[in-house]
Amino acid sequence: MAAVAEAPALRTASAAAPRAAVVSAVALAGCAAAALAVVLLLRANPPGAGPRAALVGWITLAYVICGAIAWVGRPDTRFGPLLVAAGIAPVLSTLSIVEAGIPYTIGEALRLLPLAVFLHLFLAYPSGRLGGGLERNVVAAAYAAAVGLQLVRMALGGFGPGNLVEIVERTAPGPALRGLQVVALSGLMLAGTGVLLHRRRGSGPPLRLTRELLVDCFAAALVMMAVALVFTALDGPATEPLRWVTFGLIGLAPVAFVFGLLGARLARTAVGELFVELHADPVSADLRDALARALGDPSLELAYWLPDFAMYVDSQGRPVETPTEGPRGLTVIHLEGEPVAALLHDSTLGEEPALLEAVTAAAAIALQNARLHAELRARLEELRGSRARVLEAGQAERKRLERNLHDGAQQRLIALSLELSVLGERLRTDPEARARLERAQAEIALSLRELRDVARGLHPAVVSAHGLEVALEQVTALAAVPVRLSVRVGERLPEQLEVAAFYLVAEALANIGKHAQATVAIVDVIRTGGRLSVEIVDDGVGAADTEAGTGLRGLADRVEALGGRLRIWSPRGGGTRVRAEIPCG
Amino acid sequence: MRVAIAEDSILLREGLARLLGDAGLDVVAQCGDGDDLLLKVRSYRPDVAIVDIRLPPTHNDEGLRAALEIRDRHPSVGVLILSQYVELGLALKLLAESAEGVGYLLKDRIIDVDEFVGAVRRVANGGSALDPIIVSTLLSRQRPGDPLARLTPREREVLELMAGGSSNQGIADALVITLRAVEKYVSSIFAKLGVPSTGGESKRVHAVLTFLRS
Repeated sequence: MAAVAEAPALRTASAAAPRAAVVSAVALAGCAAAALAVVLLLRANPPGAGPRAALVGWITLAYVICGAIAWVGRPDTRFGPLLVAAGIAPVLSTLSIVEAGIPYTIGEALRLLPLAVFLHLFLAYPSGRLGGGLERNVVAAAYAAAVGLQLVRMALGGFGPGNLVEIVERTAPGPALRGLQVVALSGLMLAGTGVLLHRRRGSGPPLRLTRELLVDCFAAALVMMAVALVFTALDGPATEPLRWVTFGLIGLAPVAFVFGLLGARLARTAVGELFVELHADPVSADLRDALARALGDPSLELAYWLPDFAMYVDSQGRPVETPTEGPRGLTVIHLEGEPVAALLHDSTLGEEPALLEAVTAAAAIALQNARLHAELRARLEELRGSRARVLEAGQAERKRLERNLHDGAQQRLIALSLELSVLGERLRTDPEARARLERAQAEIALSLRELRDVARGLHPAVVSAHGLEVALEQVTALAAVPVRLSVRVGERLPEQLEVAAFYLVAEALANIGKHAQATVAIVDVIRTGGRLSVEIVDDGVGAADTEAGTGLRGLADRVEALGGRLRIWSPRGGGTRVRAEIPCG
Repeated sequence: MRVAIAEDSILLREGLARLLGDAGLDVVAQCGDGDDLLLKVRSYRPDVAIVDIRLPPTHNDEGLRAALEIRDRHPSVGVLILSQYVELGLALKLLAESAEGVGYLLKDRIIDVDEFVGAVRRVANGGSALDPIIVSTLLSRQRPGDPLARLTPREREVLELMAGGSSNQGIADALVITLRAVEKYVSSIFAKLGVPSTGGESKRVHAVLTFLRS
């Protein structure tokens, strides 16, 4: 039994929502920062100032606003604040345009910060937290290379008179340090790309569209950042257009993110539809489909918790494995503190706890219903299995006894009688002894007849050996009414099934002889598709007592143990129809 | 008269061989299974093969299959099936095409040595031997407007013996009547049942069976 994680919905219920005032203040500050960056750029008016100002303004505004939305909408993740930070970083690096004093120093020191922040942001999507040690190391190294190395370079001078952190004027190691910085940062960007692509491939079907789009966008932006960095350092061709494309891609990311949020909103309207659907048909077999639609996860599986069996089962009562790790997520749904069911879903759904919570809340009652059904089926399945086993064991034993009688006692008695015959030939001269011998032989003949009856009662050997069609000839010929027999079964059926069908016909014909006052009976044994149907119809008085006829009750047990059904129609004055349908593979 | 025996119980097989030998028949082959029987029937060409219906390896229908194969490949060899149970369905299968040179008896019948040896000789000579249980099953079968009801008790007795494969002489002996009387009964029975009396004794078992089965 797999250990089961608590539902994210429950875990996040206590997460504190940020104050609206704080978020608005942050948003306003972001807008102001964007405005500041635009004004600074336009005033300094370096080459290409207009487009550059527009891009920085757009990126800052887009990231800060999206960040604020995410902060409010997804208070459980740190992604919102991280988006805001990513929006502010370009403004800080723009400060270097002032070319004097503290702003210049800050601007130069944080010039490459946006690279590290974006890398951080992309890798932390969607929870806002970095996953494993590798991701953390990559991001930490990026910060060190972007800011730490930059400070070292500035301390060694060569950044002009506005540089307030210059300690000594030593320009010699400058180019080497710059090269190291470029190589390190571009390498880290590519490493980040690798992490993203690996994650995309590993998360299993189905990746939802918005997430796929975002991850692609992030990966492309990281590659472009690395390329742009190298080209700029080498004064390569087309540096400017490369940068535009890179910033453009970075600017696209929040758009995709907003689409993702919109998708979640749309999904939440699907919860409303789910409510209506479940209300219309609370025990629908399509519960899984309805939930899959509402959650937008076609791979969704439902598993019901059976406390008595301490396991999960599907809607048919069959055991279900629950994953503890891997690309599948598990959400346990509780009702009144007791687990009811579990959703096995795509792990990306874990990022939308609000949606999961809404859907599971809507479906809890219906799930409880469905769980009870599943439990019932599991018990029926168990019962059917044990009944079939008991029957099979009984039948095997009876068959063994029948064969022992046949191969043992009967053969010996016949051989013994033959021996007596030989003896009788020698006693021709003694009529009295001969007469006694003949009496003994008559006794043996009687014993043989009785033994045969016992053996036949134990197991219908002719059915096992020669099949249903051959065996039914005798039974129908001995019936009390004329019988029209039709057997169309093709190849031999499993022995259990043939024996059950044989007994059914024999018992039904015996009942007709005893009670029905019929003039004719029809026996129809036919195999169609994967089923054997056995039908016995008479034209008698009907009103057969199906309860008093314990023979028929026992036969119903036999038929049901084989997964079949026995039904009896017996209207007064309308004859009796006994019909069994048994699956035969 | 040459006889082959297929019976997996050695006790019974030996007993049977001695019984037939004592009665003056020539037991040319004793076999434990169906394959062995087929081989020996091909080599020794007996007049009749006596076959236990349950033979190794599975003891299901090997004996019956061997018997049907002998009927098919060696029509001149008579086949007498012995079984612990006699079943109408099996009789119909055995006699599906003709009753000539076929017998089907309950194993117990061996005990009545004279009757049994008579049946073996009859089958060897191309006649039939059908167990009384089969005959009585067929006669007891219910039919709408039963034509058997028109028979006199004596005619019914004659019909039973006839269906069992007895010759006219056999019937005459069994009922202690003259051969001439038997012939009269037989034609009366065929007339009442509306069965065309086709040719000799060998064909009439099949005709009667076909009538009784329908």
